[in-house]
Amino acid sequence: MRPPRLIANTLLALIWLGGALAVLQVVLSGGVPSEGGASLVAHVSGMAAGYGAAMMLILMSRSPWLERGVGAHRLARWHGRGGQVVIILAVVHTLLAVQAWAEARSTDRMAATRAVLSLPGLTAALVGMVILLLVGLASLRSLRRRISYERWHFLHLLTYLAVALAFAHQLAGSDLAGRRFVQIAWSLLYTYAFALVLRWRVLQPFFQLWRHRLRVEEVRQEAPDVMSVLMSGRHLDELRAEPGQFFRWRFLTRTTWHAAYPFSLSAPPTCEKLRITVKARGDGTRRIFGVPIGALVFAEGPYGALTPRRRRRPRVLLIAGGVGITPMRAMFEVIDLPGKDVTLVYRASSEQDLVLKHELDEIAERSGARVVYLVGPSTDAANEMSARALNRIVGDLSDHDVYLCASPRLATRVRDSLMLGGFPRHQLHEERFSF
Amino acid sequence: MSDTAFELGRRIPRVARLAIAPSSLIRWILRIVTVGLFGVATAAGVSLGMSAPEISPTSVVHQHVALSDR
Repeated sequence: MRPPRLIANTLLALIWLGGALAVLQVVLSGGVPSEGGASLVAHVSGMAAGYGAAMMLILMSRSPWLERGVGAHRLARWHGRGGQVVIILAVVHTLLAVQAWAEARSTDRMAATRAVLSLPGLTAALVGMVILLLVGLASLRSLRRRISYERWHFLHLLTYLAVALAFAHQLAGSDLAGRRFVQIAWSLLYTYAFALVLRWRVLQPFFQLWRHRLRVEEVRQEAPDVMSVLMSGRHLDELRAEPGQFFRWRFLTRTTWHAAYPFSLSAPPTCEKLRITVKARGDGTRRIFGVPIGALVFAEGPYGALTPRRRRRPRVLLIAGGVGITPMRAMFEVIDLPGKDVTLVYRASSEQDLVLKHELDEIAERSGARVVYLVGPSTDAANEMSARALNRIVGDLSDHDVYLCASPRLATRVRDSLMLGGFPRHQLHEERFSF
Repeated sequence: MSDTAFELGRRIPRVARLAIAPSSLIRWILRIVTVGLFGVATAAGVSLGMSAPEISPTSVVHQHVALSDR
């Protein structure tokens, strides 16, 4: 299997190349009027925003080639950053297009806005842009914390509508109009993007629901606010799920059907059973605890490249923080190395927060692997998670593949310390879970 | 199955028998669905591109401005 970084870099280069071509064709086409800089920037930003919006759809299409090849964490990061750029470009395009119009017709901006909005497709495009702007605002770190996951998720789904509303305007824009070949290529970019979304985000989960009939078999309390949900189904081996991967779960009950939550498998998958372990973070996740036995489960996945198959070195260090233990617990059981040179470092703020501890101890005892618990305040020197401290725990750190799953804050701290300490980037495998 | 049919089934060479596991059949059906979906997407994309306007509304106004300038 090719390393995800190579695939990611190749894909990123292709995306940039496509963007450069889209912008370049605006300049080379001669379609840009010579009234001034505002017009040129409006045209270029409009094309770049249109191209970027299609790329965002493709990156989030949940296509297995992307999810397994690039990794869900990296895709989400690209989508987060790229989405911001697309929204900024769309706003710049809107403002400067009105400005250029006002300059061209020697009118004020108010009259120019009215004139622009009276053009076919422009009102729909403006509605699309307002939706995008709302999604962008809701994703700002300060606002995102105040919005429930369900509302944020619903708002995000509206971006499909926003992109579709802007499409007619793009196709009729002066950069594409009259250039049949480019119009066809642009339309194909969008129809393929929507086909990918339809295939992997709609058809695939429906197919899996029909084929596997996944149902809740047991809900078990593991710790305060932490529950394991055991699900059973048919032919689950066909999912080809691996320990370390995650699904987006939608429990089909009256109160929980409307939101899909990403949770990792907390035990190696079998032909008939899948298990997740969930920490309550809000009303939505708490409602999952009340899901009745026998409830149908709509599962999208498996996703993620954090699997034992990524291992290249003879030794493995698994680092988990809090409920980030779930994918590590699944991998801890199956990573089989000569001499069992596997170490699991599990960081939690209190003994109570150590989830699945009895299972970890049992696996360690059975397999000869080592588990190290770092419990207590992070200010305590004994709980340090720096490269130096980890090196002390495992010996030669550079001879390890490091798997990391923790809260964004802890994951950043560990990653930064490892990189500063000269740890090879390709030996670090991580998946971060935050929305 | 009657004895004759059973016997006939046994005489068919192994290669020619339908020995496809349901899971692999389903995988192939999904592949065909995927190809079909992208076929439809291609047709829709080409059709949209072919029926797209030849003159942009903004170009019309630019022309209008240019004409009124003369």
